[in-house]
Amino acid sequence: MHTGAHAGTREGMHIYDYSTDAVLIERFKEGDEFAFDLLVRRYEQKVYQLAYRLTNNPDDAADITAEAFLRMYNSLKRFRGEAQLSTWLYRVVSNVFFDFRKREARHQHLPLEVPDEDEELVELPVPDESVDILGHALQAEQSRVLMEAIQKLPEYQRVMVILFHIEERPYEEIAQIMDLPLGTVKSRLNRARNALRQLLEPYRELFEAESCPTTEEPQEADDALRASQERVERAD
Amino acid sequence: MRCEQVKSVLNELIEGTLSEPMRQQVQRHLELCGECQREFRLMQGIWRGLSAMPEVVPPADLHARIMTHVRANTRLREAQPRGGLFRWFGAAAAAATLFLMGFFVAQSDGVQAAFGFGGKRKPTPELAQPVRAGIFVEYRTTSNGARLPVLLARMNREMQAELRYTPPEQPNATPVLLWQGTLQAGRTVEIPLQTLLQSVQGRVVTLHWRSETQSSLLFMPVGYPRAKVASVRLQAKLGDALRQLASLYQAPIEYAAGCSEPLVVLDVQEATLEEALRQLLVGTGCTLVREGELWRVIGP
Repeated sequence: MHTGAHAGTREGMHIYDYSTDAVLIERFKEGDEFAFDLLVRRYEQKVYQLAYRLTNNPDDAADITAEAFLRMYNSLKRFRGEAQLSTWLYRVVSNVFFDFRKREARHQHLPLEVPDEDEELVELPVPDESVDILGHALQAEQSRVLMEAIQKLPEYQRVMVILFHIEERPYEEIAQIMDLPLGTVKSRLNRARNALRQLLEPYRELFEAESCPTTEEPQEADDALRASQERVERAD
Repeated sequence: MRCEQVKSVLNELIEGTLSEPMRQQVQRHLELCGECQREFRLMQGIWRGLSAMPEVVPPADLHARIMTHVRANTRLREAQPRGGLFRWFGAAAAAATLFLMGFFVAQSDGVQAAFGFGGKRKPTPELAQPVRAGIFVEYRTTSNGARLPVLLARMNREMQAELRYTPPEQPNATPVLLWQGTLQAGRTVEIPLQTLLQSVQGRVVTLHWRSETQSSLLFMPVGYPRAKVASVRLQAKLGDALRQLASLYQAPIEYAAGCSEPLVVLDVQEATLEEALRQLLVGTGCTLVREGELWRVIGP
């Protein structure tokens, strides 16, 4: 349950509200529309971030974010608090994303998903040799390549990889978000990782590179890696 | 162990979920097999790269976009005063809600979006951004000809600020907090006032602006268009007199009071607002400045 000191922060503004999500939801159910505004401010950045990772496109991400909050508005009165609001919202965003992709596929007359990992995978463009693979540049290039590769994954795999590895959600929460048994989440996530690894074969050298001791990011990355390992340990 | 077996459990090795005997077997294999070692480094690199993805910065108008979309597709109500005891509280709360929802921050190099201004973001070319520090009032013209008042706040360094308001029907009530936040140097904060003004009764709303360098009252007219000329006879404290003029002429007036608030007398016939203000301020030591739509009275 969110108990943050303020509901939302944007450049130049802070709107203070110490209420928990549950209190704001109750206020909204009683007709206080301002409570909804505060909830939006509390979660809009997280929602946008997930939407952006899923689409790699700022406009699509903003559209998905807006639609997710519209769905939240329409169904918040039925929200019973069985899951955390953030978990529930992640689920809404995933569903909006799936719908968005279906609509897009209909318009473009293209297959909805790229081939699964058993089939031949789409190849990514060749690595840019001119890139300085030290420090920030290395990390930036890795991020760019990873984002492109993630976009090539089938939708469900994409959502799982992003939720686990980037948004750092534990397996149990992903199971709730995706409405799948825990074991299925683990096995599908493993398949997703292997698919990602296949996509990244042309970039082997970029990812095999040792951490650069002159920058802070690799240390942060190691910390993040350790954190995800701890999440896994907790899940077990 | 064979290479295929080792490669199939590399994710588990990185996660730390392999049983201890299995982990030792895999580690022993990795020490001897260069190909599997390479594969392990690749997988580790992918895990590390995913964990280190940079944060995404949302667009500045994201909140306005969300609320516009939600409003356009739901019955998210305009503030409506209720009857009985809850009348004022209901109106104040609802006005605050919509007022805050309409709030957004615009970059100084271009106005981006306005909640309640018709959805799509389009700069209003006729309105220049203010270059001086302080608060300003602009009226934006929509495609259907409506003129929507916007309060602009801009400071030359970072500072805290807040905006409160007193509803016309409760002039002695404690001012209600509408906005509180940090102003960034060179950035213009825009606060649409339309919804607030629509939700209150009376002819003028008193806004209380306070920052580290400025404290002033802003008398905002509820209606538009304004009166060109009027006949006025009044005797009041300067702040009250200015409030009455803002109400009578339906023009925004800012009042930054000095150390004392003088009693003023005014008796003019068919006078413009400028004439009335000049007459009113004779002998008070106050300065009168016009900034676009806003008349600014600065105390001695």
